[in-house]
This record gives sequence, C-alpha cells and structure tokens, in this order.
Amino acid sequence: MRKTTLAVSITAAAALLTGVVALADTWRPSDLLARLTPAALRTATTPFSDIFPSDPAFQFSPPEPGSYRLNRLKPAPDGAVLTTNGIQTRLHQLFDEKITLVSFVYLTCGDVDGCPLAFSTLYDIHDASAQLPGLRQKVQLMTISFDPERDTVEAIAAFAHPVSSDPASAQKLDWHVLTTADAEALRPLLDGFGQVVDRGSSDDQINHLLRMYLVDTQGMIRNVYGLGLIDPRLLMTDVETLLMAEAAE
Amino acid sequence: MNRREFGGLTAAAALAMAGPFRAFADETCQSPYMPKITGQEEFVYVWTLGVEGMGDEQDKMVTVDLRPGSSTRGEVIHSLSVGGRNEAHHGGFSADRRYFWTGGLDTNRIFIFDIHSNPAAPKLHKVIETFVTDSGGVVGPHTFFALPGSMMITGLSNQDDHGGRTALVEYNDDGDYVATYWMPTADDMQGAVAVDGAVADGYGYDIRALIRKNVMLTSSFTGWSNYMMDFGQMLQDPEAMKRFGNTMVLWDLHTRQPRKVFNVPGAPLEVRFPWGPNANYAFSTTALTSQLWLIYEDDGGEWQAKSVAEIGNPEDIPLPVDISIAADDQTLWVNSFMDGKTRLFDISDPHNPSQIYEKTIDRQVNMVSQSWDGKRVYFSSSLLANWDKKGEDDVQYLRAYTWDGTDLVEDFNIDFYAAGLGRAHIMRFGSSALYSA
Repeated sequence: MRKTTLAVSITAAAALLTGVVALADTWRPSDLLARLTPAALRTATTPFSDIFPSDPAFQFSPPEPGSYRLNRLKPAPDGAVLTTNGIQTRLHQLFDEKITLVSFVYLTCGDVDGCPLAFSTLYDIHDASAQLPGLRQKVQLMTISFDPERDTVEAIAAFAHPVSSDPASAQKLDWHVLTTADAEALRPLLDGFGQVVDRGSSDDQINHLLRMYLVDTQGMIRNVYGLGLIDPRLLMTDVETLLMAEAAE
Repeated sequence: MNRREFGGLTAAAALAMAGPFRAFADETCQSPYMPKITGQEEFVYVWTLGVEGMGDEQDKMVTVDLRPGSSTRGEVIHSLSVGGRNEAHHGGFSADRRYFWTGGLDTNRIFIFDIHSNPAAPKLHKVIETFVTDSGGVVGPHTFFALPGSMMITGLSNQDDHGGRTALVEYNDDGDYVATYWMPTADDMQGAVAVDGAVADGYGYDIRALIRKNVMLTSSFTGWSNYMMDFGQMLQDPEAMKRFGNTMVLWDLHTRQPRKVFNVPGAPLEVRFPWGPNANYAFSTTALTSQLWLIYEDDGGEWQAKSVAEIGNPEDIPLPVDISIAADDQTLWVNSFMDGKTRLFDISDPHNPSQIYEKTIDRQVNMVSQSWDGKRVYFSSSLLANWDKKGEDDVQYLRAYTWDGTDLVEDFNIDFYAAGLGRAHIMRFGSSALYSA
C-alpha cells in the first residue's frame, strides 16, 4: 500500500474541513436561541430537528420525538484511545454519562458518501448546537479514526483545530476527535461496534461501511445509521427521544 | 442516493472500469445496505433441504462455483451440513455481507454462516436455538433483511396456535435478540390505518424497505399448520385454505411502527422495490389469486395498493412464487411453481405491466436470482418439503441461464437429487472480491 506523508494527510484534512465548513455555511438555522434555554430543553415543544433544513435526499419527515422506542442493541466497547492532546484514555471514560454520536472515519477519505458525509453531518449538528445551549451537558460528538497509521495525534489535532479554536465552542457540543496508538488498539473498538474496515486494496482507499452509532448515557448502542439515515434531523430526533426516555426513567 | 455501502469499493470500481459502462453483477432485490459485487459473481450459495434417505439426509449450505474460467465452474465445490432437517428455507446476508443468515421453518433454528473468511467454503459461525423464546412465541423464521447493525427477520407463525398470526423479530449483528414487532391485527391495529376496509390478519412473510422514503413493506402467507401439511391434503381441506393471509402492511422503517394495512387477497409473497431514485413503488404477487400487485405512492403522497396484471390463468392457480426486478427497473421475472414457468414482464410503466416472454424451466420451479447486469439468471426448484411435487415431477436443481435479450439460454444444470444433496431452495451470490485476504 502506498504511504502518504503527514503533510499530505493534514492538507487533505484541512481541505476536507474547509469543504465541510463551506457546506455548513450555506444555511442559517432559524432563530430558536432565545427560546431554548437549558430549562426549556425538557419542555420545548419545538423538536430539535427543526433547527436543520430538510435535505431532498431524505424524502420523509423525522418522527415525533418520544413517539417510538430506541432498542438497546448492545454495549459499546471500551478501549484505549488518544485525544488531540496526545493523552491516552479509555473510550468509556470519554462517554462521561453523556449521549454520544460516534462515527468512525479517516481523514483522507475521498468518497463523498463516506467519511465526508459523516463529517459534514456532525459539523451541522455541532454548529447548530449553539442554539441548544443546555445540550452540551448531556450530548456530545465523537469521531474515531480507523487509520491510526496516517491519522496521528498531530494529524487529528490539525484536523480538529477549527472546531477546538472556535470562539463559540463553549456553547456547542463537545466533539472528541480521537485516534489510537496502532491497529492493535483499534481492533476491539471496530469489532465491538461492528464497524467493517477492509484494507485489502492496493491504493490509499480504505474500504469501509459508513456507519454512525448512537450511544446512551449507560454506554449502550441504541441505534446504528447507514446511508439513507445519516440526516441531522433524524439523528437529533433520536437524541431527543433518548433524552425524553431517560428523563422519564 | 448511492445505495452501495462499501464506499471504497465504489471508487475502486470506477477506477477499474475506465470505460463508459460500469457493469454490475450482483443479485438484484437485496437490502440496499449491503455492499455489492461489482464484477462477475463468483459463487452461488444454495440453502438446501435435506431429504430422508438421500445422502446425509441433512439440510446443508451448498456452494456452486460461478467463476469464469474455473475448472469447476458450474459444479458443487463445497457442502456444509448443519445436523438434521429443519425445513431449510430463506436467508439473507448481514449488512456487512460477511455472514449469511438462514432459517429453518420447522425447528426455528437460525444458522449464521461465515462467508467472508473463505467465500468458496462457508463455515457455520453460530446457531440461534432460542428464536421462539427470544421473540415471545414467534415461529417460522423466514426472510432475513439486513439493517445497519441488525437483522430483521419475518416470522410465519406463532407457538400458540401454529396459525398465521406472527411478528417481525430483530437481532443484532452478533446474533443477540433485540425486539419483537407483532403484526397489526383487527383487534390491535397499533396505530395503523386499514385501507379500503382491509381486515388486518396479523400474517407475515416477506419484508423489504425503501430507505429514502422511510418505508418498510411486509406481506403475508400462512402458518406452521399449513406449511408443514402435505400440499394435496391441504388443498382438500376447506378450513386450511381459509388460513392464508390477505394483507400487506406498510411500516415506518425508523420507528418500526405499522402505518397502513392493505387488502391484497390470496397470500402476497415476495416484496420487491426497484432501485431508481424516483421509483416510489414495490411489486408483489399473490400465490392463490395469481395477480401482480403494485404498492405505490400516489401523487398526493399517500401509499396505495392495486392489482396491475394477471400471471398466467389465475383459474389454473399457477402459484406465483419468487420474483426479481432487473437493476434498470424495466423488467420483472415471475416464477410460478405449479406450471414450472418463468415469465418476464415489462414494468417500464409499473401501473401497466405486460408479459413479454415465458419459458418452462422444468416441472416445478421456485426461486429466481438474476445478476445485476441481467445477463445471468438462476433458478432453483424447491418450495417446501411437503409442497414439492411427487414422483417424477419432483425435480430438484440449480439451473443457470444467460438472458440474451430475447431468450433464456441454458448454461448449466445441476441435478440436486442425482448429486445426493436434497431440495435446492434460496440462492445468494458471493464473491471473494468483497473481502481482503
């Protein structure tokens, strides 16, 4: 397999994020800021999904939050991960009893229906979350690289810089951008989530199933999303449904 | 929307095929969540019913070599028996396409085969023995429809009365039980609306989904007491003949909640959605009334169901069984068991299908699988152990044809009885190209 340099990875990551930001900048959420205070989170009648525009690719409206049940599929796995600061920690520690939207990605992925879609969806949620200021105590985002060889701590830090340096980040959801020390450390995470990654091809492309995972405050996987379901409106409706279910328990 | 889930493979295929055409070879009508074969299918897996007094008498997974140029092309290259007869029936790949789940309609055992470690020689990965207790009384695991991270399984029956009232059962990809969703009944509609006076009977059979519309469709058949009965005996039993499903149910895919119940009389079996980005419809056929049905979204955004064509002469009860839509959504293969025929319908106008070709495959025929490019069509023979024809009419085979645009031309034929294998039922394509070594 041909190797890419760190510089190439960072360049690609920066270009990717630039594209993501540009994509996100094409819309302006409606003004819900004044209404959605932390206390209002449990009582607001406007669904979280309303802060996102509808996407023609998803030809249906999200269900009413709380009108359905999210099954407990299985426990999310634990394992050693590295943060953008190079600190080694455990995945379960980072869950921190928050609802977590998890996605496996690699920074140089060029498939528009692959990692960039996951990135842009999470970015949409992250950016719009400023309008739900109480949510960051309960919900967070997480991306884990499945290419630790190229997605080093330096690479993910560079990638995450626009997010971590965002002046408004204190009002938005935390976004943990993670990698692992090596393939051996990554393996239990991939296996535990059921994220298929196939490095059998001869180029830099990594064959992978695009998946996102909704993990509840107890560390249980409550939904798995593939193409056709990775819509911020639907993801946030599930988040809202989980919040309502947990509030009722 | 790109339905092909192996994102990397999409790009790889585009690079490998630099010409203006991109040929696909995978079987059509599968779960859109599954990665697809982008070249020639290499293997066909045949879930095969064991026959008393034949070979080892057990149900088995049979692998037939389809690799072009292979010295064993068109031959059985692997067979894996599972211990006993279970009324082997249907199966489906997991969404990552690494495992092939199959069910036994009589014993309720679910067999999960690992097909990625060595695609030429599947191995048994796990057996679920607790389907009935897990599900709260569902009997007869039938269709296996892949969802991200889980498998949705339709049931045909229940343990209370072995009739047709049944449910959908969801397992995670590890084979652990997740949830049961009982079919709506007239007494418990679960929020669903009956269309045109439909009476929800709670029956089940097949399942498919149109993800872009968040729609899931189920059909209905009959319960254990019928599908395990001798076919001739059942036909003479007026009470038994009343116990067939007459409905299809439209579900909210995301919430797993039933939305509409349609009248589709005469046991609607297979459900197939086309692939087109604007194709908001599905086809099904009714076994007992021999009609082709369209379930479609109308101009007002409401889903409807109507009969759009007859299959053969309904008075002869040709018994339509498996169907397959071509990848370009223009044609539909329809098999009918009793007359052993396959018919090709032009469905370019889905509201007005018309038959354009027919051919007798043999004295009985059941399943049909066509390649993504439509050039290769495979047929198998068995319906159910007690429903297959008797004596010399009971022929069991896998037959491969090429479709040249006007005719089916036989490629090879494997006699499953002569090979001592049993009754050939569902077929699924495999390829080592989907996995690294």
